Amino acid sequence: MIEFQLDETSGVATYLQLVQQVHQALRMGMLEPGEQLPTAQQVVAKLVINPNTVHKAYRELEREGLARARPGLGTFITRAPAGTDPATQARFLAAMTDWLRSARSAGLGPDDVEAIYRTAFRTCFAEGAA
Amino acid sequence: MIRLSWLQFRTQAVTAAAALAAFAVLLAVTGPHLASRYAASGLSSCHGGNCGTAVHTFLSQLAVTSPYPIVYLLGIALVLIAPAIIGIFWGAPLIARELETRTFALAWNQSITRTRWLAVKLTLTGLAAMAVTEALSLMYGWWVDPIGKAINLGTTGDLANPFAGGRFSSLIFATGGITPLGYAAFAFTLGTAAGALIRRTVPAMALTLVIFAAVQVAMPLWVRPHLIPPDRTIAMIGPVPGDDQAVGLDYGNLTAISVPGQPGAWIISSGAISAAGQQISALPFACAGYGAKAQDPGQCLTSQGYREAISYEPASRYWPLQWIETGIFLGLALGLAGSCFWRLNRRRS
Amino acid sequence: MSTVIETSGLGKAYRRTWALRDCTLAIPEGHVVGLVGPNGAGKTTLLRLATGQLTPTRGTISVLGARPAASPAQLARVGFVEQDTPVYARLRVADHLRLGAWLNPGWDGELAQRRIGQLGLDPRQRAGSLSGGQRAQLALTLALAKRPELLLLDEPVASLDPLARRDFLRGLMEAVAEHATSVVLSSHLIADLERVCDYLIVLVASQVRIAGEVSALLAVHRRLSGPRRDPGTLPAGQDVIEESHTDKQSTLLVRTGLVRTGGPVHDPAWTVTPVSLEELVLAYLNPANDIPARRPRLGVAS
Repeated sequence: MIEFQLDETSGVATYLQLVQQVHQALRMGMLEPGEQLPTAQQVVAKLVINPNTVHKAYRELEREGLARARPGLGTFITRAPAGTDPATQARFLAAMTDWLRSARSAGLGPDDVEAIYRTAFRTCFAEGAA
Repeated sequence: MIRLSWLQFRTQAVTAAAALAAFAVLLAVTGPHLASRYAASGLSSCHGGNCGTAVHTFLSQLAVTSPYPIVYLLGIALVLIAPAIIGIFWGAPLIARELETRTFALAWNQSITRTRWLAVKLTLTGLAAMAVTEALSLMYGWWVDPIGKAINLGTTGDLANPFAGGRFSSLIFATGGITPLGYAAFAFTLGTAAGALIRRTVPAMALTLVIFAAVQVAMPLWVRPHLIPPDRTIAMIGPVPGDDQAVGLDYGNLTAISVPGQPGAWIISSGAISAAGQQISALPFACAGYGAKAQDPGQCLTSQGYREAISYEPASRYWPLQWIETGIFLGLALGLAGSCFWRLNRRRS
Repeated sequence: MSTVIETSGLGKAYRRTWALRDCTLAIPEGHVVGLVGPNGAGKTTLLRLATGQLTPTRGTISVLGARPAASPAQLARVGFVEQDTPVYARLRVADHLRLGAWLNPGWDGELAQRRIGQLGLDPRQRAGSLSGGQRAQLALTLALAKRPELLLLDEPVASLDPLARRDFLRGLMEAVAEHATSVVLSSHLIADLERVCDYLIVLVASQVRIAGEVSALLAVHRRLSGPRRDPGTLPAGQDVIEESHTDKQSTLLVRTGLVRTGGPVHDPAWTVTPVSLEELVLAYLNPANDIPARRPRLGVAS
């Protein structure tokens, strides 16, 4: 089962962070259709946030067609987001990991890597943040 | 709510029970001896006016036999002080401590109204207060019965004797009968009302002590003598041979020692008056004889036309006075309790 | 949606000072409401009016559709945790649970036992020897086991260390998740509120400065920054809540203003950025900021 994190400094609304983490997990193959999402109680016990935030996130996922609430049972993933292909994801993950390893042995630190990534990202994806 | 009141009252109840038990042991150990002394004195078989000597012997011997005087005085002190202690330690903290520590927010936000909360606490603790004080009084009353009977049969004529007071005396009246119930209820509700008013435990304790002590002093001095209008009589000053209506005096201040024909009466005031009705407070010079030529002061006063005016309550008024005094304190207690309810429900802050 | 607390022109005065005045609120059910304000602003007064501990000097208040503390049945529906969570020092933890069971018809004993067990509290321990955090958890257990529809808390965590605070809020949120209890929590610690509250009331100097659902409030507030300008030249329908101007010797003069928008801001000279809840609360808390009188009703319906 996915375990949510909360980044208090990111400025992104909490419920959006949860939605994004589900998207990410689906893309990376860590969540699969049919799997149950944590109950509001479980999320709240770990993150100490308002249960309504969890409900809002799950409603958004339902709206996107990615999840469905089954009364009395929980909320379950129905399908992966369009355009995701775990195999492709895995391929690029491997490529990125190799790149990062060689960058590190070339002497680049985490801040250098971050700067390079952000510049490239901005060039590629014209709009703002993900 | 009853169970909660008991939970909070537990420690105080245990303390009271321990004190009662200790006192009971003391009385149980010394009481039977006292009773046997009384039986041996022959006072149970004497009656009428000729017990004086026997009474005098019994009581004056008792006065120098330890531990009877100590237990006697201790008992009086306990029964008189018990209501004050209860008022201070049971009454004052009842409301004040909950307000002070804000635990009332815990109690009053359960599904119970303030009225019910207070009603149960007041009733339970109040009844316990009355029961403890009355138990003290009854135990002591059992123990002191021989002495009381002896005093009722006559007088000691000896004011140095610690047993000089009868059941009407200032100290003793409030220790017998049912007045302990009234005092206990009054002291307890006085404490709770002070606590509800001041909202701090220690100042409430102090206020309760001050007011109750003042009332305990004021009642026998100024109020009790007026509860029932006293009877009055004017009697010959004795002793006059063959005249048992004559009254013996304390020749120091010319007050009567007893009321003729009224054994066990409560003398409220008395004084020698002249034939013209003028009151004197000391022996006239002519009667204050010294040396071999000293006259019996009583005969001298009588020969000069002096008589004794006495204002008194007969012994039969003992219980009516008890009921009236108890009633007054119970009435005050109800009023004080009512003020607590009113104050709690005012919801100011 | 029904309301849990409704007030109309509510005011409370002590002698000559008003602890609360002109308070008009309609708090919807199913929310965790943060009641924020400096000390002495009137938060405690509002909560005590809601529990029935105080009666209004002016105006009306109704809680769950009835007068506060009108009857034992009404008292059973509202839970209250007092500031600094007082407990009976000489009674044991187990005694407190018994107290709850005896005095509350709707007492959930199983929930109470379960919570005490989870918290690791010793039932035989006297409440006076508990730590501050444990006392707060005990008081919360008593309030929750009563199964109230509405739970009011008056700064229960103000004197607790951060770990105890987090544990307390965790317990509170778990209870809300399980029982859908409506909560009104007063605090002057904004960071805690950001995590758990979805409805906000800001009280300053005994008056409500703003009240509404957090998402709605954040949606209508923006931060504008641009060249120094007179705020009067802003398009209509926008209220300036906070403004500050700097005069720099270099050519760049920065003027920032926190603006409540009636609609999107189109003027390209302004850089528009969203506002965080903390910034929003601080702006409304600041007594130097003059909040415009015309206040649209926010967050009444969602």
